[in-house]
Amino acid sequence: MHQGDGQRIIFDNVSKFYGEVLGINRVNLSIPPGITSLVGPNASGKTTILNLMTGLIRPTRGQIRVLGIPPDRPEELFHKVGYCTQYDSFPKGLTGYQFLYSFLRVHGHDGVQAEQLTCTALERVKMLDAAGRRVAGYSKGMRQRIKLAQAICHLPSVLILDEPLNGLDPMARSEMITLFQELGKAGLHIIVSSHILHEVDMISDRVILLNHGYVVAEGDIQGVRSEMEEHPMQILVRCSKPAHLASRIFHQDHVVEVKLHDDGQGLFVRTRSADRFYLLLNEVVVQDDLVIEAVAPADEDVRSVYEYLIGTDGGTR
Amino acid sequence: MAVYKRSYRRFGGELTPEWSRFLILPRYAYQDVLRSRLLLAFFVVCFAFPVGAAVLIYLRHNLSALALLNLSVADLISIDNKFFVRFLSFQGTMAFLLSAFVGPGLVSADLANNALPLYFCRPFSRTEYVVGKMCVLVILLSLITWIPGLLLFLLQSNLEGTTWLYENLWIAAGIFLGSWIWILILSLLTLALSAWVKWRPIAGALLFGVFFVAAGFGQAINNIFYTRWGNLINMGELIDTVWSHLFGLPGRTAVPIWSAWVALLAICILCLGLLYRKVRAYEVVR
Amino acid sequence: MRSQEANSSLLNRVSELPWGRWYRQTLAILRLELKRNLFSTRAIPIYLLAVAPVLLFGVRVLVPLPERVVNNLGASSVAYAIMYRSFFLRFAVFFGCVGIFMNLFRGELLEKSLHYYFLAPLRREVLVIGKYLSGLVIAAILFGGSTVLSYLLLYAPSGVTSAREYLLMGPGLAHLGAYLGVTVLACLGYGSVFLAMGLFFRNPIIPAVVILGWESINFLLPPMLKKISVIYYLESLCPVPVPQGSVTILADPAPAWIGVPGLLCVTAIVLVIASLLIRRLEITYSNVE
Repeated sequence: MHQGDGQRIIFDNVSKFYGEVLGINRVNLSIPPGITSLVGPNASGKTTILNLMTGLIRPTRGQIRVLGIPPDRPEELFHKVGYCTQYDSFPKGLTGYQFLYSFLRVHGHDGVQAEQLTCTALERVKMLDAAGRRVAGYSKGMRQRIKLAQAICHLPSVLILDEPLNGLDPMARSEMITLFQELGKAGLHIIVSSHILHEVDMISDRVILLNHGYVVAEGDIQGVRSEMEEHPMQILVRCSKPAHLASRIFHQDHVVEVKLHDDGQGLFVRTRSADRFYLLLNEVVVQDDLVIEAVAPADEDVRSVYEYLIGTDGGTR
Repeated sequence: MAVYKRSYRRFGGELTPEWSRFLILPRYAYQDVLRSRLLLAFFVVCFAFPVGAAVLIYLRHNLSALALLNLSVADLISIDNKFFVRFLSFQGTMAFLLSAFVGPGLVSADLANNALPLYFCRPFSRTEYVVGKMCVLVILLSLITWIPGLLLFLLQSNLEGTTWLYENLWIAAGIFLGSWIWILILSLLTLALSAWVKWRPIAGALLFGVFFVAAGFGQAINNIFYTRWGNLINMGELIDTVWSHLFGLPGRTAVPIWSAWVALLAICILCLGLLYRKVRAYEVVR
Repeated sequence: MRSQEANSSLLNRVSELPWGRWYRQTLAILRLELKRNLFSTRAIPIYLLAVAPVLLFGVRVLVPLPERVVNNLGASSVAYAIMYRSFFLRFAVFFGCVGIFMNLFRGELLEKSLHYYFLAPLRREVLVIGKYLSGLVIAAILFGGSTVLSYLLLYAPSGVTSAREYLLMGPGLAHLGAYLGVTVLACLGYGSVFLAMGLFFRNPIIPAVVILGWESINFLLPPMLKKISVIYYLESLCPVPVPQGSVTILADPAPAWIGVPGLLCVTAIVLVIASLLIRRLEITYSNVE
């Protein structure tokens, strides 16, 4: 085991087949603390990875360690891990409070502690008022929240979330995202799978892109984007004298396209080397007295990376 | 000025007749049923007795074949009302087992997966749903009860002559009516239990429970109260009583015939009530 | 010397196991399962099965019976024995255990809620034990209670004095104890088998029907084959013999010192197998119906 492996989630050449159907194939991952998003189209293997991580299914091949613990040792693993699954089902006949409290008792907490943790978790997901009602009578959003409360109530070090924003209204989504960010900042290791790309973009420190059971890309989003040389980077520059800047950069071999904005206050650049472009931009600013209002990458986000690598139809490019 | 292009057109084509829409349910249910090899094998086994009975009828009318087998006509059982009651009893048991394997999943799967609203948000009524689901069992059970029964009757008539046919037409009526009563009871009971408990295995267990536990309880009532009215909750005894009556064998009845009819009718009404309560587009969660 | 060391190190290792945590977790599972399963509308058919003999003997108290029946406690005892063997043990307890124990895992798989247990820091073996105990407690409360109540009601028509005399001075109390013991043993034995079936068969009703068939034809089986059934040992432990039918193949009843430990051993073996196999159980919910 490498140093620091005890802080990481490691997949070592892991494959999972459901009979003849491929779940994931030869996946190697080493996920450090922070917020990591699993992104990919339907049936790309996101849930399979999460279920393998938590021992709900066993790998056909390969080894998995979560903070140094193999998933087939639940008695150790789930003191440290909380998993909010995609299954929208609950034990029958329990209220929200009973659901959390009872499973905390199963965790091994005593009555007082379980009560305290239950209330904290319910408060965190803003479900205290509805805690006395049966879960079966909850709305989709409330069920999603109570599931999340169940995943965080025992104060785990790793929180695994499978499509946690499904079924939530925009307000609830934004609250949940804030909660994830808070938990992430507080040092919780969060793995989240989601289809909602711009929200993934807002919260993730790094992404893992999956397609057809293979890892297509992984790392921080800028790193992934910069490695995609066949797709020139798109950069927006708002500045004085955009025509002058355009003329200075147009003859550079890494620049593919330059387009002036209609209002004459900026330009759009497509370049194969963002680093060289930024270097040149610095030079122009210093030499030609250019006033820069804003510089922003136009496609350095999860959506763009997803579209370039996987495409809107789910086929790998 | 805004320009709205109204390109959407609702469906204006022709629909299938309303009366035939329930048939869509058995069509897809059979695909599911026939996928199970175990069930398919059992279904084939259900025809063993009718084939054996057909061979017996044939042998009774083929003296050379009997001579070849070193048998005489007297060695074989006679083809009369008792023969057909035996046939119905055996095939009735097979029908029970078949409906216990096929039936419990018919409604429970839809309830467990919240699929009922999908049916009822279309021009499809609750009655059509129940009839469609019942059809799955009715057709399957017909194939192993009254259809082979009447074929055997026709074979015997063909070999014995028209006089036998005319003299014994009431047996054919008995086969048809007796089978249909059993099929209706089995189908309604299976569907009602399937709708009541939602889970296929438990619905199956409950069906066996209703037959075996009720029979055992009925027997216990008879023993403790020195009576025979306990048979009223024994489904097997009830249908035997009705069949014996239909086939002119009154000595075998366990309870008065009128009470058997009333009990069977009550069971049907109870099942229909249960189906009416459970087969709805919504579920109230308290 | 070496074997002594090995023994003491084994003992040390066993005593180091987290028994306290397992005990707390088992209790937590027990509480949760009792809350969910003991008082639920889903359990109504099981309540009905349990209440049936009580109802039967309750009605018997109200219905006027012939003098010769009321005063003949021996005949009443035989009537109870027949009811107990031919209905209660063979059908009520059998189907009750099917309903209770098969549901413990199969029900959760169908409801898609088993993963909540699998996501707790819980050894799966502890889960099997916790769930089994909860089923056993439910079955013992319902069917044990039913045994006691129906037995007490049996002697109610004879009057308080003679009933008390029969129970306290006569063989009544011993019989009641034996019936109660047999009921609990039946729940133990059938319970473990149906719990295991619920875990590993997609449609556990088929093997359950096979067992029902096997147990039902037990009276027709030759003595050797009779011994491969639960009902043979249970009936051997019943205190009052019942008249056998003309087609019954007779066999010597199993002595209690074989019957009781035998059933306990079978229960333990089935639970160990279930505990070993549950470790390989995956949660996919895609092949449940």
